[in-house]
Amino acid sequence: MNWHDLLFWEVVLAGAVRLATPLIFAALGEMLTERSGLINLGINGIMTAGAFAAVVGSSMFGWTGGLLAAAIVGGLYGLLIALSVIKGGANQIIVGIAIAFVGTGLTDYLFKIWQPSGQSAMFVPLVPTLKIPGLADLPFFGPVLFSHTLLTYAALVLLAGVSFYMARTRGGLRLRAVGDDPGGASLQGIRADRIRMAAVIVGGVLMGIGGAAITIGFLGSFTSGVVAGRGYVALAVVIIGRWTPAGALVGALLFAFFDSLSLRSESGFAGVPTELFYMLPYAATLFVLVLSARGKAGPRALGREPG
Amino acid sequence: MALGFVLVIVVALIWLAGANPLHAFSGLIQGTLGDSYVIAETLVTAAPLAIVALGVMPALRAGVFTIGSEGQLVIGAMVSTAVTLSFPGSGPEKLAIGILAGMAGGMLWALLPALLRAYLHVNEILSTLLLNYIAGHLLLMMLNGPLKANAQIATPRSDPWPAEAHLPYLLDGTRLHAGVLLVLALLVAAMIWTRTASGLRYRLHASHPELSSRLGLSEPRAVITTMLVAGAAAGAAGWMQVSGLTHTLYPSVGGGLGFTGILVALLGGLNPVGIVAAALVLGALDTGAQGMQIGTSVPASIAEVIQGLLLLAVALVVAGRSLKSPGSKQSPAKPEQAAQMKEATP
Repeated sequence: MNWHDLLFWEVVLAGAVRLATPLIFAALGEMLTERSGLINLGINGIMTAGAFAAVVGSSMFGWTGGLLAAAIVGGLYGLLIALSVIKGGANQIIVGIAIAFVGTGLTDYLFKIWQPSGQSAMFVPLVPTLKIPGLADLPFFGPVLFSHTLLTYAALVLLAGVSFYMARTRGGLRLRAVGDDPGGASLQGIRADRIRMAAVIVGGVLMGIGGAAITIGFLGSFTSGVVAGRGYVALAVVIIGRWTPAGALVGALLFAFFDSLSLRSESGFAGVPTELFYMLPYAATLFVLVLSARGKAGPRALGREPG
Repeated sequence: MALGFVLVIVVALIWLAGANPLHAFSGLIQGTLGDSYVIAETLVTAAPLAIVALGVMPALRAGVFTIGSEGQLVIGAMVSTAVTLSFPGSGPEKLAIGILAGMAGGMLWALLPALLRAYLHVNEILSTLLLNYIAGHLLLMMLNGPLKANAQIATPRSDPWPAEAHLPYLLDGTRLHAGVLLVLALLVAAMIWTRTASGLRYRLHASHPELSSRLGLSEPRAVITTMLVAGAAAGAAGWMQVSGLTHTLYPSVGGGLGFTGILVALLGGLNPVGIVAAALVLGALDTGAQGMQIGTSVPASIAEVIQGLLLLAVALVVAGRSLKSPGSKQSPAKPEQAAQMKEATP
């Protein structure tokens, strides 16, 4: 297989859509959080916890159980952050770093208790793949766009939903108001604290599902380090996408494209070290981050002391 | 009380692993203070953490939130390996060249995010995090390429360093190497710096950048200097890990030390003595957890959980204190907070 073969690009692009799915969920979760004016730096730990919870849940109750477990675990981490920052008044960056440690450490701990040998990769039921009738048989576009897991379609529906919610509904308006000007919002009778609590918890749920989209979306098993910094990529994706769902989609696809390309690089490209391809997704994300750095598009109260 | 909560969670986790918490704790203590060997292990585990943490201290004090120590440490170890293996020299020369190469490597890896932050306003948290992952793959590429061991070995690693490039041991029968003296030197330097006018200006930069700029410390200068210092320290720690402990460069050289080092800096309240104390506690926790894993069925990753919980507890305690007394805004543990708040805004 090589680069002037259409089949090669079909595999790479289909892989990109698959690999973008976890990022879309996680980035939407972070975006909702940041739109409310808080930042969740624990995202990588929460995705790791979600990825593991999904495998445990799926091995016991099938893929729906896996998704539910990941959502609950993600929501619990969101709740912990919300309580520490909003009720406890703790510094959100420090809390985020602490949660990043707890999330990955606790997951690794529980994983080793669950699978003491550590080497047996346990395979669990995946989220089913839906071939959209008619469209899935199209040449090229069928495999790339129309034969994915339910999670991928759900991510796109959610993307449209969040887009509509933020732009067109009262709830979305309140969320943005709290993130831009909490003082002004509270003068309007909006309970900033409650909205932020909800945003951080829902954000955590989506990050947990984002982790699940890695393990029960396509891998089928869990290993420590399976998230591979995708939480931090999602953070970058939110900025690259200028805090809009459509922008996040573009950012997620960009990283996922290079990620997918690197997975294929082992089978070809004479003379170029494969590690170079593994660097590419992160390097490309950094590059676009630099390009999009100018201007202030973020919520104005982002990262400031809550309250 | 916060510590009590941490303790309760830890006991619950140990119980979940099917071990007796008392046995586990005695394993933890045996693994930390049991004999001179493990005490030395604790010290050499704490040393790189302290160096990384003392190095990021000025940045965090100035409100520059670099989280790139992990990658800078890796690149420092890589560059010092390349230089050590290619240049001849006597013992002291080799050590000097090695540490300088490590520092240069770390600074090089810090330079890009520093310039991006100073002149293009690219969020340094994200750029440094992304560069950590790039550094990891770059190390693997070098260990599979130019730095590959001559011997036929399946796993990627470098050639062993010549004996004259090894840091000397201080105590027979242990791995206590002379690198710990570097920590003492850095500690003294950091204590002096925090009391100088320069130290004050950098600290002022976090809360009042305009004022510190009028006092001669411009925004780009604060960002670039502190990030380069952090990079140099992390690079030196990377050199120390190879020169003092492993004597061969492996892909695992980072091992989370860069991340934990930042946690140490925060736990230590961004003050030099606090940082060294925090490094000793976390170093003890790490070696103790290894001992606990051997003696009982408790996985060593419990150390990471405890570290995270400790940081969370400290953050809550600091917040609770400043809520109770509004006048304590100038308390020593406070400036980093205001700073990071600001820095989080992209």
